[in-house]
Amino acid sequence: MSNNEYVVQMKGITKVYPNGVAANQGVDFNVKKGEIHALMGENGAGKSTLMKMLFGLEQPTEGEIIINGEKVSLSSPMVAISKGIGMVHQHFMLVPSLTVAENMVLGMEPKKGMFIDYKKAVEITEEYAKKYNLHVDANAKIIDIPVGMKQKVEILKALVRGAKILILDEPTAVLTTQETAELFKELINLKEQGYTIIFISHKLKEIKQITDRLTIMRGGKSMGVYETADISEQGISRLMVGRDVILTVEKEKAQPTDVVLKVRDLEYTDSWNRKMLDKLSFSVRKGEILGIAGVEGNGQRELVEMLFNLNVPDAGTVTVNGQNILGVPQRKIREMGVSLIPEDRMVYGIASSGTIEENLMSDRFDKKKYNKGMLFDMNAMHEESDRLIDDYLVLCKSRKQEVGMLSGGNIQKVVVAREFSSDPILIIADQPTRGIDVGATEFIRKKLVELSREGAAVLLVSADLNEVMELSDSLVVFYNGKIAAYFEDTSMLNDEIMGEYMLGLKKQTEEEVRRVCHE
Amino acid sequence: MLEQISSLIFQTDFVFSIFRITAPILFAALAAVVAEKAGVTNIGLEGIMLISGLFGTLFSYWTQSWMIGVLGAIVVGTLLALMMGFFALKLNTDIILAGIAINTMSAGGTIFLLYLFTGERGNTASLTSSNILIPTVKLPIIDSIPIIGEIISGHAVLTYIAFILVFVIWVLLYKTAIGLKIRAVGENAHAAESVGVSVIKIQYIALAISGILCGMGGAFMSMYYSQSWNTGLIAGRGFIALAAQAMGRGEPVGAMFSSLLFGLAQALRTKVSGMQGVSSNLISAMPYLVTIIGLVLYAASTMKKVKRRKADEANEEKK
Amino acid sequence: MNNRRMLMFEIIRGAAAILVALIVAMIFIFICSDQPFEALRYMLVSPLVSNGSISMNSIYTIFAAMTPIIFTGLGVCVMFSSNQFNLGGEGCVMLGGFIAALVGIYCSTGTYLDMVIAVLIASIVCAVVLYIPAVLKVKLGASEMVSSLMINYIIMYVVLHFLNNVFADGSKGSVQTFPFAETARIPQLVAGGSKLTWGFILALIFTVLVALFMYRTRWGYSIRMIGINQNFAKYSGMKVGAVIILSQIIGGFLSGMGGALEVLGRYEVFLWRDLPGYGWTGVTVAILAKNNPIFIPIAAFFISYLNRGCTLMATYSDVPAEMVDIIQAVIFLFFAAEKFLAKYRQKLVVAGAKEELSQKNAAAAEGGQK
Repeated sequence: MSNNEYVVQMKGITKVYPNGVAANQGVDFNVKKGEIHALMGENGAGKSTLMKMLFGLEQPTEGEIIINGEKVSLSSPMVAISKGIGMVHQHFMLVPSLTVAENMVLGMEPKKGMFIDYKKAVEITEEYAKKYNLHVDANAKIIDIPVGMKQKVEILKALVRGAKILILDEPTAVLTTQETAELFKELINLKEQGYTIIFISHKLKEIKQITDRLTIMRGGKSMGVYETADISEQGISRLMVGRDVILTVEKEKAQPTDVVLKVRDLEYTDSWNRKMLDKLSFSVRKGEILGIAGVEGNGQRELVEMLFNLNVPDAGTVTVNGQNILGVPQRKIREMGVSLIPEDRMVYGIASSGTIEENLMSDRFDKKKYNKGMLFDMNAMHEESDRLIDDYLVLCKSRKQEVGMLSGGNIQKVVVAREFSSDPILIIADQPTRGIDVGATEFIRKKLVELSREGAAVLLVSADLNEVMELSDSLVVFYNGKIAAYFEDTSMLNDEIMGEYMLGLKKQTEEEVRRVCHE
Repeated sequence: MLEQISSLIFQTDFVFSIFRITAPILFAALAAVVAEKAGVTNIGLEGIMLISGLFGTLFSYWTQSWMIGVLGAIVVGTLLALMMGFFALKLNTDIILAGIAINTMSAGGTIFLLYLFTGERGNTASLTSSNILIPTVKLPIIDSIPIIGEIISGHAVLTYIAFILVFVIWVLLYKTAIGLKIRAVGENAHAAESVGVSVIKIQYIALAISGILCGMGGAFMSMYYSQSWNTGLIAGRGFIALAAQAMGRGEPVGAMFSSLLFGLAQALRTKVSGMQGVSSNLISAMPYLVTIIGLVLYAASTMKKVKRRKADEANEEKK
Repeated sequence: MNNRRMLMFEIIRGAAAILVALIVAMIFIFICSDQPFEALRYMLVSPLVSNGSISMNSIYTIFAAMTPIIFTGLGVCVMFSSNQFNLGGEGCVMLGGFIAALVGIYCSTGTYLDMVIAVLIASIVCAVVLYIPAVLKVKLGASEMVSSLMINYIIMYVVLHFLNNVFADGSKGSVQTFPFAETARIPQLVAGGSKLTWGFILALIFTVLVALFMYRTRWGYSIRMIGINQNFAKYSGMKVGAVIILSQIIGGFLSGMGGALEVLGRYEVFLWRDLPGYGWTGVTVAILAKNNPIFIPIAAFFISYLNRGCTLMATYSDVPAEMVDIIQAVIFLFFAAEKFLAKYRQKLVVAGAKEELSQKNAAAAEGGQK
C-alpha cells in the first residue's frame, strides 16, 4: 500500500498533559483521501485530544503528523487551516449578531477600498453554498437561524478557508433527525467532490450509514482501523465499550427498603429543541445504589439539573420521601436531606479562592450548631472542618489553605466531605471520580458504598463504565433521554451487553424498564 | 411659567446651544460605544478627557496653533487609552479599576502637570487667547437661510465633526473590516480567535479609537466650550457619556440621541436658571433619571424577549 | 500553596507597587523642584516629624482625614465582595452629610442623642438609596455600575436643589445651610485645629464590626462566597439575590455614615457644592486593602499620609500637592494588576507544589513502613 493514498497520517502520537494525564498513548491514525472516516470512542477515550492536535489546538508530546505526505508541525489553528484542515466544533464558533456572510468572511474580509465589500461576502457565501449544496441565507443573522443552518455555516467557513480535510466533532449531537439526514446528504456530496471528512461520533447507526472506514479508540489507545462494511455493530460496540482495568470494590449485598427518590414522567426539551428527557420514570430506594450508565449527552446532565433545581422540566414530578422537590430552592432541597456531587466541581462544587474550611461549610454555615447569636462559632467550625479533613483524608497544610490550590483529587475530596457529612438520605453523585487520581477515586467509591449500606439512597451517574458497574446495586442505561434497560442485579452484566444498550442496539420492553419504579 | 419655557425653547439660540452642549458628550459617548463594542468598558473617559483637554490647551499655547493643540489632545488621549489597555489587557487589571485609576490620576495630576509645564495653578485662563481657540465656521448658503441658518451655522469646527463622527463611527463599525472584527471580538472572542483574529490587538485598537474620540472631546471642552482649561472642566461628562452609550443600546446613532437628550437638559438648565419657580438643579438631574429608566426598560425588554423565545419554542414543540 | 508564602508574595508585590509609584514621584519632583531632596523629605517624613520632634497635631490631622475614607472604603469592600461594581458610595457621602445636617438643624432634641439620630437617619436613607441599583441588577440585570453612577449625579443635583432653594441661609454670602445644633456636632477627640473627632474612633469600631460581619457571620460569609462563585453559592443553598441586595444596602449605609460624620464633625454648616470624592478614594482604599476590612484603616492611613505629605511638600517647597493623585493612581493600578509580577508568583507556586510533592512522597514512604 503506498503512503500517498493517505492525506492524514498521525504516527505514534502520545499526549501527556501538564497535570500528568496521558490522553493519547502511541496512537496511529490514518485517513485516506476522499473518504468519510469515523473516529469512535467513549467520552475520555482520547478522540478529542487527537483531533485537537490535528487542528493545532494542542501539540503532541511524541509522534509525528504528516499531511499530504509532508511532515508538519501544527503550532496553531491558523497553521492547520493553511494546511487545508478545517474543524467544525461542537459548540459553534459563530458571532450571533453578525450575518451569515459576515461570519463567513471574518478575518479574511473582501475589501473595496477602505470598506468591506459586503456584496462580495454575500456572493462568496452564495457561491460556496451553491457549489457544495449547503443552503444558507447569507443575509440572515446567526441569532435568527436554526441550528442545522448554523452548522452549515460552520462547514462553509472551513471550506471557504480552503479546507480539504474536515473534522466534524459530534455534528449530529445538536441536530434533529431531519437535519441529520440533510447533513449526511451534504457530506456525501462533499465526499464526491474529493473532500476528506473525519467524523467523530458514537452513534452506531449513523456510522454504519455514512462512513467508509472507522478508527476506534479506548483509554487513549487505538483499538484498530476497520472497513465500516466489514464490522458489525456488535463488533464496534465490543471494541468501544469495555473496561481496561477491573477494580473491585467489596460490598455487601444491598438490602433496599422504601422508595426515597421518585421520578415520574419527567420531560424536558432543551433550547435547541432536542428532547433530552422523554417521559423518564424511575425510583431509588433506601440502602441501594442505582447507577445510571450511558454515553454522555443522553439526558444524564439534564436529569441531575432538574433534581437540584438548576433547571426546570417541561412536565413530570419528582419527590423525595413523598415531598416535591421540583422548583424548590436548593436550601430546602438540602434541608430535606439531598446531597449532590456536581459533575463539574470547579463550576458548582467549590469557591476556588475560598479556604478549605469555607468550602466545607457552605451548606451548613447557617445551622445553629455553627452560630452563637449573630456570630459564627469558630471553634465549632474549626472542629468540624478539621474532622472532615481528617476523615476524608484531604491532603493539605491546614483548613485555611485556598481550595483552588489543591490537586483535583483533593478538591473533590473537599466536595465529597461536605456532601457526605450532612447525613443525607439521598446522594446524587454525578461523575464523582472524573479526572482524579486513583487513590482519591478508590476512597470516594468506598465512602459511597459505606453510606449506602448505612441507609442512604444513592443515585450514581457516571460515564465510567467500570465505576458504574462495580458500584451500583442495580443499574439503568440511558439512551436518548429514555431508560433503555434496567438491570436489577449488576453481577450478571458484562461489557458487551452494556455496550449494546448504551449504543442503542438493544432495548428492553416497557414492562422490563418499568420495574425500576418499584411499584 | 410653561409659556415662558416654551417661548424659550423656540428661540434659535436655544436650539443652537443644544448642539454646542451635546458635542462633547457625543465625542465621549462614541468613545464608549467603540470600546464597549470590543468588549472593554471604558470608564476612564472622564479622566482621559480632562487630561487631553489640558494638553490641547498647552499644545495650542506652545505652538500658537489650535490645530496642533487638537492633535496634541488626540495623541495624549490615545496614549492614555493605550495605557489603560496595557494594564487591563497585559497585566490583567480589571478594566473598570483601570478606568477608575485614570480618573483618580486626572483629578490632581492635571493640576500638577499644568504647574510643571507652565507654573500656572488650577487654570489656563492666562494662557489662552482667542486666536488659539477652535474657530467657528459660517456655513455657506445655509447661513443665509432664516432660522435654520441661525441654528446650524456658526458652530465650532469640532461640533460639526462630532456629528459627522456619528456617521463615521457607524461606517467604521458596520462597513469596515476592523469594525467587523471589533464587533466579533466583543461578542464572541473565541469565535474571532478561531479564525485567526487577535483579540488583544483588536481591543487595543478599539481603546485607541476611544482615546482619539476622548481627545477631541477634551480639546472641545478646553479650547472652545470653556475657552480655557480648569479642573472642573469635564464635570461628569465622561460618566454621562457612559450612560448615553448604555441608553443608546451601544449604537452610534442611539448614543447620539441620548447625548442630545442630555444636551437638551443642560441647555434647558442654563436657560431657566434664575427663572422664578423652576429649579435648574432638578432639571439637571432629569437626564440621569431618564437614563436609569431607560436602562430599566431596556433590561426588562431583553428579559421578556428571552422568555418569549423560550415560550415560542415550547409552543412549536407542541405542534 | 503555602499561605504564608502567598502573603509574603502579596507584601512584596505591594511594596514593589509602592516603590514604582515613589520612583515616578521622584522623577516628577526632580523635574519640577530646585531642591528635590528637601521636597522629598517633606513628603515622606514631615507628616510625622516637624522641627526634629514628632508632631502630634499632624498625626491627628491624618487621622481626621482617614475617618470618611475608612467608611467609604469599608462600604466599597462589602459591595465589591459580592462582585458588584457599585460606585454609588460617592453620592451616598454627599447625601449622608446633607441628611445629617438637616436632622442636626431642624430636628434637634437638645440632647446628645441628636448626633446619634442624625447619623443613623442619614445612614439609613443612603442604604435605601443603594437598594435601587441593587434591586435593578438582581431583578432585571441592569448594570449596577451605570445606574449607581447616575444615582451619584441625581443625588448631587437634588441636594443642590434643596440646598439652594429650600434650606439656604439667606443671610450668608455663600450658599450654605443654617448651623447645626451644638448637640448634633460630633465632639472633638483632641483640642486644636486637627478636626479629629470621635468619628475616627467610630471608624475603627466599624472596621472591627465589618471585619466581624464579613468573616464571622453567615451573611458576610454568603456575600464573600457569592463574590467568588455565584453558581457555587446557589448550589450550596444561599439566597443569592437577597444577599447581593444586602451587600449593597450595607455599602450605602456605611458610605452615608462616613458622609454624616464628616459633615457633622468637620463643619458647622453644610456647604458642599459638589461630590466630595471620598467615594472614589474609598475604591482606592478597598483595592489597596485587597477587599479585607481589617486592612482598610492601614490603607486609609497610607493614603492620608501621602496626602498630608504632599500638602506639606507643597507648602514648604515648590512641588504642587496634587502630585498625590498620580502617586495614588500608579499604586492603585499596580495593586489591581493581577499579572504584575506574575512570573515571580508562578515560581513560588511551582516551589510550593514541589515541596508539597516531596512531603507527600515522604508521607507515602512513612505509610509504607507501617
